[in-house]
Amino acid sequence: MSSQFTPMLDGLTRQRGVSAALIASEQDGIVVDSSLQIGQSGDRVAALAASLYRKARLSARAAHLGAVSFMQLEAPNGRLCAVGAGPLVLIVVANVAANVGLIRVEMLRAAAELPTLANGSAA
Amino acid sequence: MVDDVSRLSDELARDPASLVFVPLGEVLRRKGQLDLALRVAVRGLERHPHLADGHDLLARIAVDRGELQRAFDEWDMVLRLVDGHAGALRGMGFICFQQGRLAEAEQYLSAAAAADPGDERIRQALANVRAARGQEVPEHDGDVPGVDETQGAFTEHAPVVAPDFSHDSRFLFADVLSDMDQTALLLDRDGLVLGGAYLDHEGNDVAQEVGAELSGVTDAARRATRFLALGDWSSIVFETEVAVVAMAPSPDDGLLVLATSRSTPLGLVRRLLDRCSGCAARWLGERAA
Repeated sequence: MSSQFTPMLDGLTRQRGVSAALIASEQDGIVVDSSLQIGQSGDRVAALAASLYRKARLSARAAHLGAVSFMQLEAPNGRLCAVGAGPLVLIVVANVAANVGLIRVEMLRAAAELPTLANGSAA
Repeated sequence: MVDDVSRLSDELARDPASLVFVPLGEVLRRKGQLDLALRVAVRGLERHPHLADGHDLLARIAVDRGELQRAFDEWDMVLRLVDGHAGALRGMGFICFQQGRLAEAEQYLSAAAAADPGDERIRQALANVRAARGQEVPEHDGDVPGVDETQGAFTEHAPVVAPDFSHDSRFLFADVLSDMDQTALLLDRDGLVLGGAYLDHEGNDVAQEVGAELSGVTDAARRATRFLALGDWSSIVFETEVAVVAMAPSPDDGLLVLATSRSTPLGLVRRLLDRCSGCAARWLGERAA
């Protein structure tokens, strides 16, 4: 079943090295929509990524650093990227072969569209 | 930026006496190619030994290489060539701050602010130093022996006896950080501050508040990477409107947090994070011993 977020998420998962793209609520980490490879479970990824992003945002607020845009967690076998858009977080899981610069640009562009898409959903 | 390097290198090759070595060295420095930037700067200064901008470039390269005394000497040369050079005064203030010579740092930065009142970075740096001095020397002016404040420390460099801050954990990363707008913090597993400081743009130390908000990051990162089979996490980097914040795991489930300005190249942020991690590990090891 497709939603208004599906083209955006599919566009992200078409990037080289990206294995999952999700939209989740930043507050509770509940998945709003996702594009996952077969066999993946998005619920826990969304919860953990949203939690990390929320902590980053709150720490930035405590340090008066302004709004957080792009966040990435790096590990030897891949990375977890997140971009906030109001109450939502756009999350991408990628392997080490991914071009993180390109993913960053695409995520920031997609996040800018998220509020409009979300409002369309509410209407 | 690659195009800039290519274009400037071509220009320098065509005319080795050109002053283009200054922007070329700066581009290389920003790319993190410090050895190459150093060679370009040194060769340029061989032809133009009295060029203040060349010495200023060499000083900034030295800072990035962690050679603070060399940087100080180069900025000293800049001041001899151009009296009241704001960049040199700011740089010398930064070095004094990193070395815990707060009274001198304030003098340099006050002079820099007077020379360039519109520079917001200098104003913030001065606020940071004054805040640090307020916390460190609340009962007197904190004059540093050997420095005549009425003359200004930059007109005559008398021998200075710097206060010893080696026992103060807030200065844990002083030898590693290479700019006034960099700050680093070491947290334990509960988000409590172990060392370092986290200064906001007004010079307030908000380390406790930042630590509280970041409590649990190490655990969440570990669970996420384990679930996704990504291996042990090595860093978390996030960008804000004015800063880049990088975090790395530290011993005993602790967390190292480094904040730099948005203008800091990401490669340099990673290098700084590695150096801060090494510094934190050594310090924790010494405390455990």
